[in-house]
Amino acid sequence: MSAVAASSVDDADRRSPQREPRDVVAAVLHAATADAEVALMVTDFSDAVEPIIRWSNLGATELLGRASSDLDGERLADFMQPPDKASLATIFRRERPTTTLVTVRTAVGETVACRLIAIPAPDGCLWTLRVHPAQSDLELALRASADAHEHRFKVLAERSPVPTMMSEQGMRLGHVNDALCALLGVTADKLIGTGWMAYIHGEDLERMTDTVVAVLAGQEREMQARFVDSQRRVRYTDMRFTPLHTPGVGDGFVATMEDITDRRALEEQLNFQATHDSLTGLPRRGKLWDHITAAMEDPQAGLTCMFLDLDNFKLVNDSLGHKAGDTLLVEIAHRLSGSVRPGDLVARFGGDEFVVVCGTGSLDTALEVADRILRVLSDPVMLGGVEIHPRASIGVVLRSPDHHSADDLIRDCDIAMYQAKARGRGRVMVLDEGARSAVYDTLTLVSDLRQALEERRITLCYQPIVCYEGTHPQLASVEALARWQHPDRGTIPASVFVRLAEEHGLVRELGELVLDIACAAMAAWQPQLGALAPPQVNVNLSALQMNDHLLVQTVKRTLRRHGLRPEQLCLEITESALMNDPATASIILGQLRDHGVLVAIDDFGTGYSSLAYLRRLPVHYLKVDRSFVAELQDGHTAVAQAVISLARSLELGVVAEGVETVAQMQMLERMGCSLVQGFGISQPLAGPDLVDWCRSGLPTPQVDAP
Amino acid sequence: MRVAGLDIDAVLDSLDQMASRRPVAARIVATSNNDSTGATDLAAILGADVALAAKVMKLANSAYFGLSGKVTSLRFAVTVVGFNTVRSIATVSLAGIDDATALPEDFWETSVHLAAASGTLGPRFQETAADAMCLGLLAQLGVGLLHQADADGYGQLTATTGFGPERFIAETRRYGICSPQLTAEALQQWRFPVEMVDALRSVHAAGPAGALLRAAYEITARLVDPGHRRTSLGSLTDNRINESQAPATLARTRADVEALRAALGL
Repeated sequence: MSAVAASSVDDADRRSPQREPRDVVAAVLHAATADAEVALMVTDFSDAVEPIIRWSNLGATELLGRASSDLDGERLADFMQPPDKASLATIFRRERPTTTLVTVRTAVGETVACRLIAIPAPDGCLWTLRVHPAQSDLELALRASADAHEHRFKVLAERSPVPTMMSEQGMRLGHVNDALCALLGVTADKLIGTGWMAYIHGEDLERMTDTVVAVLAGQEREMQARFVDSQRRVRYTDMRFTPLHTPGVGDGFVATMEDITDRRALEEQLNFQATHDSLTGLPRRGKLWDHITAAMEDPQAGLTCMFLDLDNFKLVNDSLGHKAGDTLLVEIAHRLSGSVRPGDLVARFGGDEFVVVCGTGSLDTALEVADRILRVLSDPVMLGGVEIHPRASIGVVLRSPDHHSADDLIRDCDIAMYQAKARGRGRVMVLDEGARSAVYDTLTLVSDLRQALEERRITLCYQPIVCYEGTHPQLASVEALARWQHPDRGTIPASVFVRLAEEHGLVRELGELVLDIACAAMAAWQPQLGALAPPQVNVNLSALQMNDHLLVQTVKRTLRRHGLRPEQLCLEITESALMNDPATASIILGQLRDHGVLVAIDDFGTGYSSLAYLRRLPVHYLKVDRSFVAELQDGHTAVAQAVISLARSLELGVVAEGVETVAQMQMLERMGCSLVQGFGISQPLAGPDLVDWCRSGLPTPQVDAP
Repeated sequence: MRVAGLDIDAVLDSLDQMASRRPVAARIVATSNNDSTGATDLAAILGADVALAAKVMKLANSAYFGLSGKVTSLRFAVTVVGFNTVRSIATVSLAGIDDATALPEDFWETSVHLAAASGTLGPRFQETAADAMCLGLLAQLGVGLLHQADADGYGQLTATTGFGPERFIAETRRYGICSPQLTAEALQQWRFPVEMVDALRSVHAAGPAGALLRAAYEITARLVDPGHRRTSLGSLTDNRINESQAPATLARTRADVEALRAALGL
């Protein structure tokens, strides 16, 4: 131990309040002196103007590169200085240890950044200095490793094509990567801190903050958010948030974003195409339904619906072509959109039908809009050099407690529109309750008819067609006539339910049912009546069935199912139905005739048959309309005679309908028409009655002589 | 002229005495350095001092952290502002400068600028914005202590020197220590992280440790002192940042000053 060290021990022993045992002090001093890991020095700052080194250990001599004897008595400032080259004096406090950074100069001129801890001795004159490199080799290695790690991570994040942000606390960002800067078109300076919040779409800011709050509380979250870039363009993103907890510091988050603007634009385009009419760009039915349904969610919200149908649009299409029709529809859509108020919806319902939905509960306001629409629509449009003045019929309905769905509202304004049409077109009609009741009534009846068809509750009567040629009348055929006995309303006239079937798409079901029942009856009569059975059954076809290309197949299948020969069936079609589309009718009837089925033209003479067509049509019978038979007794025989003569000259059979008297029968016989049908022969009979009638020898009723 | 009456140990002793009058703040300062201390622990301690808790809540709900009105629990507030910020607010209380009337007139205005500038610059110096903000916020603590010890003399000193290095030299000449160093001494006494102490200790000299604060002082001087003679940011920071970044930094600092001023109730 050096003399200086021995002196220090003596001092310590003398002055220490605790008075450590001398041998303990000696042991500690010995260990400190020989310690090469820690640089220790004792300095004296009592008398000098600056600290003087009094003692140093092995660690100090190794750090400074000088022998202990070379250090003793030297100025501390010769070996180390604070970074600012200021005096070391400020670190020597009487009562408290201090720490400062110093630059140590070694014997070879090297400088080492060190941390200097000065611990005052109780006497206030000596300080023990502990000096160690600011960063040990291990610290430097760990730091270098951590720096490299962080650098790699930073490069990965910064070069990643995925826009990424990192918050250190709250919404304050500490880091953003290049991809995020590129997404928003700004430099990182503008985004760090809370700067990025200025680029969040105003409507998404609240949601974003709520999400961050949840993430800071430890949850992982995803959300879609809009940002507004430096060009004021809206960018849609999918964001994924992960909490970032730093022990002893606080909570932040990392968020990655996916720019879905283009994908969303495509989706929106597809969605628009799916929900909007490609011709006019207006919303289609689905969108209309959604809009009304959403508006109806608030029971207090005023809502008015208008159904608009262009008058005579078919005329434009037929005369100027579909292209002109399309141009007109586009123009109408444009005018409609310009006539409504902000927030109102204009939708294309289909064809030349449009629906306008107004968010008002005021009839006056709605009528103002409707009148404005009519006025604007009537401005002329030039189509193919022709000036057109479009007109429309508008049905208006205000939402009422009866309207529970979009269907209800649309249905009612459709009814109102038909009222407008019925009352002269080019006008606005508010829904009339009477008309609505009538429509409801009809709709109910249609529903009942549909059910009756499903349950086969349509029945048939059969009116005999008798041949009075020769001495005994012969049963030539029976005409099947459909009957519907409504459970509540009683007998529904065939003219009513056939029309309903035609108007509501039930005609095929009705036709097939009637054909099936008639053929079934025909098949049943054979075993019951033998030779007395009707040789043929006549079944009426609707005009609409003449457009049904499946009709021939249906007829063949039904005949086959019931084991009938084709010539046992005669299909009756009205003259007007035939003339609707003579070409198609000719094809279908030709196929039926080729199969062997007979065809009769019903109500002949009431329509406008082209004789040229008639000659070519594959028919077997003409049926003289009852009106011509009825006028025979008044001496008006010309038409009936002409029809009968025409049939004869075309080599067709002829049947007189509506024969009620013996006189009529005699007159028809004289004219050469021996096939007759009517109340004078027999009223229509139910199946069992017909069997009895056949068995009874075809009795005629007692009819008054003329 | 050096003032013989300024005894740094006495100044630091006075801080110890202050700590005994503000036990909650002292506990927060003492415990928030510990990595094992959680937000729940810190919030529990903070909850014992209504005034301090209110300050942290107000700060967490401020525009500075972007969560205005969303932070409803003290624990969440602690995680939002960060432990270092909580400790800094407690330190301000501990040092008795939060409600002291004997402070230079522009003390808080300068402190808020330093805090905002440091927070803005932090990420460029591999510091979190919040830690850097705390460093700036507390940097002036030494000024408060010097002013309390020698109000007239320090007032004269500030009147005759420009903000920044020129004043540091004058402070050292007069008191033997400049204000950031005095702050460093105080923070060391409270066992703040050594990096933070070093940064304050080195602000008036060259070297990387004090670069962030030097730049923050320069940005602050440009914003608060119209007669300030500029020193390039590159020379102050060994070119870790340069003058081209000054406009953005000034703008961001200006914006954060507004948010912080409101957040801290100044």
